[in-house]
Parts: sequence; C-alpha cells; structure tokens
Amino acid sequence: MRAFVNLYAAGDGFVPPSTNDFNLPPLTESIPWLTKPVLLVFLSVILVSVFFILSARKAAVVPSKLQFAGESIYAFVRNDLARDVIGHEFMRFVPYLFTLFTFVLTNNIFGIVPFLQFPAMSHVAFPYVLALFSFGVFHYVGIRKKGLGSYLKEIAFMPGVPKPVYILLTPIEIATFFLVRPLTLSLRLFANMFAGHLLLLVFIMGGDYMLHDSHLIMKLFSPFSFAFGIALTFFEFMVQCLQAYIFTLLTALYIAGALADEH
Amino acid sequence: MTNEPANRRDENALWSIFGYLISGLLFWGGAGWAADHFLETTYLTLVGLLVGAGGALYLIWLRFGRE
Repeated sequence: MRAFVNLYAAGDGFVPPSTNDFNLPPLTESIPWLTKPVLLVFLSVILVSVFFILSARKAAVVPSKLQFAGESIYAFVRNDLARDVIGHEFMRFVPYLFTLFTFVLTNNIFGIVPFLQFPAMSHVAFPYVLALFSFGVFHYVGIRKKGLGSYLKEIAFMPGVPKPVYILLTPIEIATFFLVRPLTLSLRLFANMFAGHLLLLVFIMGGDYMLHDSHLIMKLFSPFSFAFGIALTFFEFMVQCLQAYIFTLLTALYIAGALADEH
Repeated sequence: MTNEPANRRDENALWSIFGYLISGLLFWGGAGWAADHFLETTYLTLVGLLVGAGGALYLIWLRFGRE
C-alpha cells in the first residue's frame, strides 16, 4: 500500500507534507524502477491511445459524442495552437503537438483523479525529457530550414547593432536559446504540478489530522480544511489544463521562431 | 477575430521577453559572481546583474520595440 500512498509518517503531532510524499517506493521490490508515477505514465499512454482510436474508428459525418469529443480536442490543438502560432507549415507539427498536449494533460489530471491522485510531472525527470524532445524538435527544424551556420548566426547575432555590443548581447541570446528555454519549459510544468499536489496534501491531510484530534475545537474546524481542499482541487484542475496548454503553446512558439525568416 | 495575429505576436513576445530577462540576469550575474569569487571583490555580482538586465532590455527593445 505504501507504494501508492506514502502518508502518515510515524510519530505524534501533525507531520506536514514534504518532498518525501513524492518519493514513492517501487511497487514490488524485484523491479526497482516500477513506481507509481511510472505506472501512471504508462496508463496515460494507454488511455490516450484507446480514447482517440475509439473516437476516430467509426468516423461519421454526423459524429457520435465520443467522436465529437475527440475531434474537439484535436481541432483545438490543430487550429488554436499549431495553425495560429506556426503558420502555413503547421501540419507537420500537429502530430507532435497533439501527442504532447494530450499526454501532459492526462498526466496532470491524474493528480486529482480519485485513487490515482498523483501528477507524474511533479517528478522533474518527466518534464525534463519532454522539454528535451521539444528542444530537439525546434532546433532540428531551424537547422534543417536554414542550415547550421546561418541558424546559429541568426540566434547569436542580432542585425543592426554596433559590433562591440555583441559581447554583451550574444551570450544572452545563446543562453536564452540553449539553456533558459528548455529549463523554463520543464521547470514551469514541474513546479506547478509539485506545488499543486503539495497544496492539496496540506489541506486534506490537515483536515484529516484535525478530525482525529482529541480536542473538540479541532474537530469543528476540520470541515473547513476539507472544504478548502475541495475548492483547491477545482483550482488545481484549472492549473493542470493551463500548464498542459502552456507547455504545448511554448513548444509551438519555439518551432515558429525557428522557422521564421526575419529576425 | 480580426486582431488574432496581433494577439499571437504579443503572446509570443511576452514569453521571449521573459526568457531574455532571465538569461540576461543569469549569464552576466553569473559572470559577475565568478569574477567576485576569483578577484575576491564583492560588488561585481551587482554590476553583472545590472549589465545583464540592461543588456536583456536592450535586446528586447531591438527585437520587439523597433518595428
């Protein structure tokens, strides 16, 4: 059981949730890498695949509810994210952006789904890998389009600036494109999921602790903590959708930037 | 909507500006900190941070303010 819910540390008094609550032990001792977040990531892949295969299988002119739901999400990513941001070459990137969006969204929402209740993205390794993919994609696209030399030159040397100023500006440009972009992309997602999960833990665990406390006054105030926990769950849902959207939007923006002609 | 592309450009600019400010502070602040560390001074980190913020703002102006 501890592999799924690692709460209630031994000892008296309220133990506030900490980073330890994110380090879940392996499900079985024999497979050390198979932890709950890993399981959830696999589950999300299966869920997303099954959902979209089912929704697209019996495509009809008059769509069923399932087909409508699937097509709405697809149309959202294709039109609002890919087409509006990237422009006329957008169709090439729709599969990647769509996969990214649905994968991140599903994993984020796992954070508030009863019994699953863990956002895999609160482990920084997952966002790192996703950001690495996006990083690879947008640089590859830029290099393919412009050639390595002129792509790098365009990044590093802003036209129309006196030469000595490049000493000041070029490091900033290079740091932006090769360090800050992938880092902020992954850390934004990680930090939001981590903080959100911690916030829910504080209020739900706090409410539970107060309910089991011997003082009547604590019992009386416990429902408020639970109520706040429920309200924050809805707030979390919003944050989870927003973060999936922002991650995909930024990837699309970076691709658009790598493809853009003028600087 | 008629102003959709303009909105998109603003959104694009917003995230790029954020990135530039961070990396300006990070790179030149870091350079200042390293200089402080080796020269055993204390004020170069501040100088680096200011230069980095200034450089980033200049870069943002070059990229988004000139049109």
